[in-house]
Amino acid sequence: MIATVTLNPALDVILEVNNLKLDQYNKVHNAQVTSGGKGINVSKAVRGCGRETIALGFLGGGRGRIIEEELRGLGITTNFWHIEEKTRSNTIIWDKKTGQHTLLSEVGPQVTEYDLEMFHSIFYRVMSQSSIVTLSGSLPRGTPVDIYANLIDIAKERGVKTILNASGEPFIKGLEGKPFLAKPDIRKSNKVFGIVIDSEKNAINAAKEVVRRGAEIAIVSLELQKDIIATQDELWFAETTYGKIVNLIGAGDALIAGFAVALAEEDKSFREIIEFSMACALASALREEEEFNSRKEVEKCLKCVNVKKI
Amino acid sequence: MIRDVTSVIADCKLVDLIKILSRHKISGVPVVNHNQEVIGFISQHDVIKATLPNYLGIVSSDSILSEFIQLSKKLKEYSQHPIDEFMRKNVITIDEDDNEVLAADLLIRNKIQRLPVLRKGKLVGIVTLTDICRLLIEKNENSKTQSYSSNFNRT
Repeated sequence: MIATVTLNPALDVILEVNNLKLDQYNKVHNAQVTSGGKGINVSKAVRGCGRETIALGFLGGGRGRIIEEELRGLGITTNFWHIEEKTRSNTIIWDKKTGQHTLLSEVGPQVTEYDLEMFHSIFYRVMSQSSIVTLSGSLPRGTPVDIYANLIDIAKERGVKTILNASGEPFIKGLEGKPFLAKPDIRKSNKVFGIVIDSEKNAINAAKEVVRRGAEIAIVSLELQKDIIATQDELWFAETTYGKIVNLIGAGDALIAGFAVALAEEDKSFREIIEFSMACALASALREEEEFNSRKEVEKCLKCVNVKKI
Repeated sequence: MIRDVTSVIADCKLVDLIKILSRHKISGVPVVNHNQEVIGFISQHDVIKATLPNYLGIVSSDSILSEFIQLSKKLKEYSQHPIDEFMRKNVITIDEDDNEVLAADLLIRNKIQRLPVLRKGKLVGIVTLTDICRLLIEKNENSKTQSYSSNFNRT
């Protein structure tokens, strides 16, 4: 199975209004409640490709149970550790008249030493039934900043390949664990190790630095639809060419999912793995809401993918 | 099946088990080893039986008031004990490729609430009678030629 870790998930609430008026009653035309979090998005995309996946992390309270039910309903196996405090919520007010998105984001819950110990125990066991594990996203309060490196060590001990997708200190410390694949999350700041990702040359330097710091493979996103992939000896450029991108949220996670699915299949060349990852990201970006739900959708996107060795 | 693999290991403390059952709102969990292989099952019922020694006696009595203090004392006394002292060791399981006819048979005739589902010997989910009833009641009643069985990994 492909395991995913989401230590700081959220319940995303998207409220559609017309002409938001502060300090007044506003009618909500459409409300969507969905589970969010990078690792959870990876599991959704893996499931979209028809593969088995197990989602791990921390959940708390009624919101936690809502997330679990949604994931199970999608055919995703769950084994979260339930904490005392409640899972955070992200509310997005989408004003359809002005096109503005206003995000109200709660600070997440605190996890305790005891919670971390219980999570480690679950993680160790689940590694015995996984071939790949993805470690994605931000850390909740109370989590040691080097937790990803720790988890990578445990996974390796049990013969499981690791994929790291985070930002800031957790990413830098995580690299010390020497993951199989590392992709820095550049949504909040488009700098990787001080290099601004605004040109192909800079993306290549950043990717090489990620490899130098411990990853076997590095992926750095250059812009919409363009990625640089680096290994110890090789450099690849990948892009997708399609006009109508609808929704980029989760596309990066879909790329990771595609990589994991293709890697797990063991009969694909490195080029084919990259192609499949890019196709997955594109398939996700073409869908306005939810995730794609058939491998066919991904395979259709393959023809818009262009991969070349540099 | 319910795609949940919430489980405990043999040395999990009783107090931690109660926390898990309470937070997940479930009545029991499979006990697994470090390789996710099912080695037992522990439910609230097993806990009560172990902490209320005169269990069989009071089931047919008028009130448990006199035994209540005993229950409280015993729970506190056993709170740090590993749950393998109280778990059922001869646990019944089903394979993911089996069908709901077999699942219903095992659940009803063994009077159990939750049936662990295995894939290649490892825990991948759980089936309850509620699941099976829901599945059967929602199936198309008009179709006479359809089979009543389907594999769990499709649900």
